[in-house]
Amino acid sequence: MDALSYFAMSWLDPSLLILTALGTFLGIYVGAIPGLSVTMAVSILISFTFSWDVNDALCLMVGIYMGGVYGGSRTAILLNIPGAPSAIATALDGYPLAQRGEAGEAIGLSTIMSVIGGFIGIIVLAVAAPNVSEFALSFQPRDYMMLAVLGIMLVGSLAGDSLAKGIFAGAMGMLIGTVGLDPLTAEERFTFGVTELWNGINPVAVMIGMFGISEALNQLHHLDKMAVKQKIDRIIPHWSNIKKYFGLSVQSSTLGVVIGALPGTGGDIAALMAYDHAKRITKNPEVPFGKGAKEGLVAPESANNAAVGGAYIPMLTLGIPGDAVTAVFIGALFIHGLNPGPLLLTEKPEMFWFTVGNLTLANIFVLIFGLTGIRLFAKIVECPKGILIPLIFLLSIVGAYSINNSVADIWWMLGFGVLGYFMKMYGYQLGPVILGVILSRLMDENWRRAIISEREDLGSFFLNLASSPLSAFLLTSIVLIFLSQTPVWARWIRPLWAGKEDKAQA
Amino acid sequence: MSEVVPKQPGETLFGFLMLALSLFLFWQSYEIAGFSALSSPGAFPMAVSAIMVISSCVAIVHDFKRPADSFEWQHFFERILPPVVGVMIGIIFVFAVMLETVGFLLTAFAFLVVTIKMLHKGTMAYTTLISALGLVVIYLVFRVIFVVVLPEGLIPESDIMSAIKEMIG
Repeated sequence: MDALSYFAMSWLDPSLLILTALGTFLGIYVGAIPGLSVTMAVSILISFTFSWDVNDALCLMVGIYMGGVYGGSRTAILLNIPGAPSAIATALDGYPLAQRGEAGEAIGLSTIMSVIGGFIGIIVLAVAAPNVSEFALSFQPRDYMMLAVLGIMLVGSLAGDSLAKGIFAGAMGMLIGTVGLDPLTAEERFTFGVTELWNGINPVAVMIGMFGISEALNQLHHLDKMAVKQKIDRIIPHWSNIKKYFGLSVQSSTLGVVIGALPGTGGDIAALMAYDHAKRITKNPEVPFGKGAKEGLVAPESANNAAVGGAYIPMLTLGIPGDAVTAVFIGALFIHGLNPGPLLLTEKPEMFWFTVGNLTLANIFVLIFGLTGIRLFAKIVECPKGILIPLIFLLSIVGAYSINNSVADIWWMLGFGVLGYFMKMYGYQLGPVILGVILSRLMDENWRRAIISEREDLGSFFLNLASSPLSAFLLTSIVLIFLSQTPVWARWIRPLWAGKEDKAQA
Repeated sequence: MSEVVPKQPGETLFGFLMLALSLFLFWQSYEIAGFSALSSPGAFPMAVSAIMVISSCVAIVHDFKRPADSFEWQHFFERILPPVVGVMIGIIFVFAVMLETVGFLLTAFAFLVVTIKMLHKGTMAYTTLISALGLVVIYLVFRVIFVVVLPEGLIPESDIMSAIKEMIG
């Protein structure tokens, strides 16, 4: 009963209701406008909302997250420019559909499927999180450490071209997170005698720099790209289409939740895998994939929104972010004095059910805003970049300044922005940096707890690690993911595997 | 993974810079507590910076194997750091320097006028109008709704605000 009242909190309180609606509305535009990302928006918002009541701040940010993941599909369909990474797969068939004059139908269908995916993700979150959280109580410090390593490894290896650069970025983030006084011994680390550095580098300044400034600098390369206008007529999809693709949507959503729930993998990977899944199971599509197959639109759109609910599972139960956006979210929860982890659900169940209720509400708003206001949408998306980019810079600067009312944070933001810009230019991923910053303290503390409990004996550390099924499983996963990205895999392990299969066939 | 992306101009140099940074940070991590104990405050930073050193070396070796254009520096300012990006970084730098002495309103207005004129290339009247409009919206949203304290500088903002409040009240 209590759970239900917490669930309905944001539905019944007018101000929370409005904030969620506003967040979702803004999220759709943030997600849709190429160059603006949900990670950027949430990073900037954290700095503005940290003096707010936590529920108000969460409503706004949850709305932006939910709306943003959906919004990316709009520009993917209309302009062939995915507004967000999770909409890359959507563009593959969404844009050809628009070129055939079915932009309205494509937008309508993607809205319905996103909402179905969103609901499935939320249901799984509500059912699974309490169980995962109970299970997580038995986790040892070393398990937390390895989960964090797993998350950074997955982001680093799946998102970019180079594993070495991904690992470098993750390690750099972890090191940034250690700057300041050591939380256990108060020893100075990387402070260079500057007392202002005792509290460390504010992660929000790093986030705004890496996702706000560097992204906006990057957009300066594409100032001349003109938007191509599409004719949009009917936006409410045909009922027969919804019925026809419902099965595929449920399958893709299930896939999306599972991928979203893995630490380190989020909506973008979920969408690409769901697209691949749809391609494999659809034997005779009406239109070939890549030419405007509706299956190729339904699968990624269901999966990426389902991944939102999935990503909340490790975030709320383990305190480990699923991807860059959830890493930023964890930063926001920390700032508001909440400590995501297995104890959150027992100590603050209201927080959990409030989030579930709020996600549901935001999903309903996605449906409402998704099927209305398309004309206004077309106008706003056409806002020239020459005006938009200066505004993003200004917002980022104001955001960084307002963290501590200090110009120092603007310097950090600018520094990380420029570094992030060059890193991106040279093929380094920025997601692992943020994940590293957020997870650094968790990893440092858990490593030290783990090794102190083994009396500094590495031998007994590994012995106990191998004897615990969970720890052994996590370590094996880390090693396998690492090996699968290295030449060792191609040269030694894969032939071994293939050899065995050949023998079995013979 | 299968297709080889050509090397960007300056990529190798950036790789070496990252290696140098990693080595410096490794040395700094060692300075925290040396090899005293596995649970020392310096153990985690040392492990992490060692990973940075190793991974940046691997990245450099990989980069060497990739094809590159012959005139690297010529392309650097075209593809990696076009003038507009460099100028933008400079303008933000100036913004940060001026913010506290001149104040938010004037600095932000000047910033918007200069950057919108540079990027959008509209007429001066249009640029000024758009900048003023943008500034008013940002000011209202962040100063009034989010209650962010912004440096006043030359314009006695709080006096004006309280005068307006008195007039209304």
